[in-house]
Amino acid sequence: MSSETLAQPLGGRIQWLRRPRGIARRSPTFAAGLIIILVYGFVALFAPVLTPFDAINAFPYHVLESPNGRFLLGTDGNGMDVLSRVMYGTRYAFGIAIPAVILMVAIGVPLGLIAGYKGGILDEVLLRILDVMRSFPAIILALAVVAATGQTLVNVVVVLGLVEAPIFARVVRAEVLALRSGGYVEAAVAAGNPVRRLLFVHIMPNAISGATAQIPLRMAWAVRASATLAFLGVGIQAPAPEWGAMIRQGAEFLISGQWWVALFPGVALVGIVLGFNLVGDGLHDLLDPKSKTASK
Amino acid sequence: MVPLLFGIIFVTFMLVRIGGQDAVGMLAGPMADEAQIAEIRRSLGLDRPIIEQFVAYMGNLVQGDLGNSWQSHSTVAEEILSRLPASLELLILAILVGTTVGIPIGLYAAYNPNRLFDQITRFGSLVGFSIPTYWFALVASFVFFFVLRWAAAPMGRIGMDVFPPPEITGSYLVDALVTGRWDAALSAAHRLMLPVIVFAIIVSAPIIKQTRAIALEAMGSDYIRYARACGYGPGLVRRIAMRASLVPVVTFIGAEVATMLLAVSLIELIFAWGGLGQWGLNAILFGDFAAVQGYVLVLASFSAFVFLLVDLLVLVLEPRARLRQ
Repeated sequence: MSSETLAQPLGGRIQWLRRPRGIARRSPTFAAGLIIILVYGFVALFAPVLTPFDAINAFPYHVLESPNGRFLLGTDGNGMDVLSRVMYGTRYAFGIAIPAVILMVAIGVPLGLIAGYKGGILDEVLLRILDVMRSFPAIILALAVVAATGQTLVNVVVVLGLVEAPIFARVVRAEVLALRSGGYVEAAVAAGNPVRRLLFVHIMPNAISGATAQIPLRMAWAVRASATLAFLGVGIQAPAPEWGAMIRQGAEFLISGQWWVALFPGVALVGIVLGFNLVGDGLHDLLDPKSKTASK
Repeated sequence: MVPLLFGIIFVTFMLVRIGGQDAVGMLAGPMADEAQIAEIRRSLGLDRPIIEQFVAYMGNLVQGDLGNSWQSHSTVAEEILSRLPASLELLILAILVGTTVGIPIGLYAAYNPNRLFDQITRFGSLVGFSIPTYWFALVASFVFFFVLRWAAAPMGRIGMDVFPPPEITGSYLVDALVTGRWDAALSAAHRLMLPVIVFAIIVSAPIIKQTRAIALEAMGSDYIRYARACGYGPGLVRRIAMRASLVPVVTFIGAEVATMLLAVSLIELIFAWGGLGQWGLNAILFGDFAAVQGYVLVLASFSAFVFLLVDLLVLVLEPRARLRQ
């Protein structure tokens, strides 16, 4: 395959990426997901203005009230407004997922580039790590590490980022392997480019479309994983308005029939994860012209 | 396989110990002073260098000694063996239900792309894909037990008023059926119903999604176009596409094993199942090192077993793989 045919689709992609209507037509899935995420993002940004109460403002005389006119989604065991807490929860979701995914990309992409291009020990180690990941739930690993190293927000972010970074490395590595012998790479080598420039300037732009499609999927994973950790009592602790921690609190009240404490944080969680997954699916369709999942 | 297991053991061994947080504080109780805690640490061997601890652990492991659980004071091997059947029962049933329902749905959706059924399936599987397992289990047990009273209480594997059947396999359902204890079988089946359905839905969502994608790709392939050009009827064409999709679908289900192992642990937790997953999660939260180690070992070995099974299955399903041998 010549370098020209490889470069062509990228130019085409960028053109229509600039046109929102074109995207919506090409992938309604992507558009729907994006709208969901934008709504969550809006709530996260303007939570103090949008919420009726503060997230940790307790009303001692209104403990466990069912949804009513004043507390639209009811109150929890501490007399805190569930709606306000669910809305503030978006800040934890983005606040954990965004830095965690940035970390995954920052580690995974260079790792994949180098492992794919150079092979050798690094590649071998990466493959072994991927073997482990295939056979072992990453959340259990994250759970063990966060439980052992202290339960701070920073720890949760770092652990989630480290645990899933190899996924980006795998995706990039696979593309680098396919590109390595391409004409334009050989030309770049012949022109005397140092390896660093070769990898990050010449190969990377053509090798990251798979990784790009992974970003929203990993965001979905990170939101879910951090909530799972909090649900198990590790990481973010109540009364912080984190969805997993809220579900954990609410689980106690299900037995006595107060369903609203556990239900609504979960609904919010499903919504944002669904949004990211829709974006991920859509992006996959948009970036991969061969894909048949696009509705055409 | 052995290097992989060794790597997993080594990594988890180091990871659970780096934090310096362990169960000793909890074991000693709130009244213990520094000297007593130090004494407990010494008796557990925690004062020695970490590499030395690891060598000692590995030495015991190759002799089949997984150490003792600090929570229960019985050996980890015993704990694992007594809990494994409960988890396997749940896992196997859910995977059976999830695949037997999921694969046909995915295939049917792919045969009729962009029709109403396909649209519903795509959205439904994506929602199922996005639901947190524990929350789904909680909501399901609230609706079907507390409100509707259809399901049994999410409290263990058999009714409290039913005497458990004599232990043969460890699965209450199987044991009760084998020994003819119909009351116990009924109670065990009743208890199994909701967790299995919840789990099967969680399991089937990615299977439906992937089966649809794989079959759709097969339907758009050149050999299907050729088959159509030859004048084969739609039934035969679909059969060819299905046969070609089977191998990637099986491989995908095998690759999902890690996800399923997490899901089974969470579901056990919600339904107080008393299986390996619930035990393992508690061990992690408690900092019960030997138990965590044992749990991790079982998860990794189970995955290895599933991968092997998938490889064998592919060998059966795929004539090309056999030729290559």
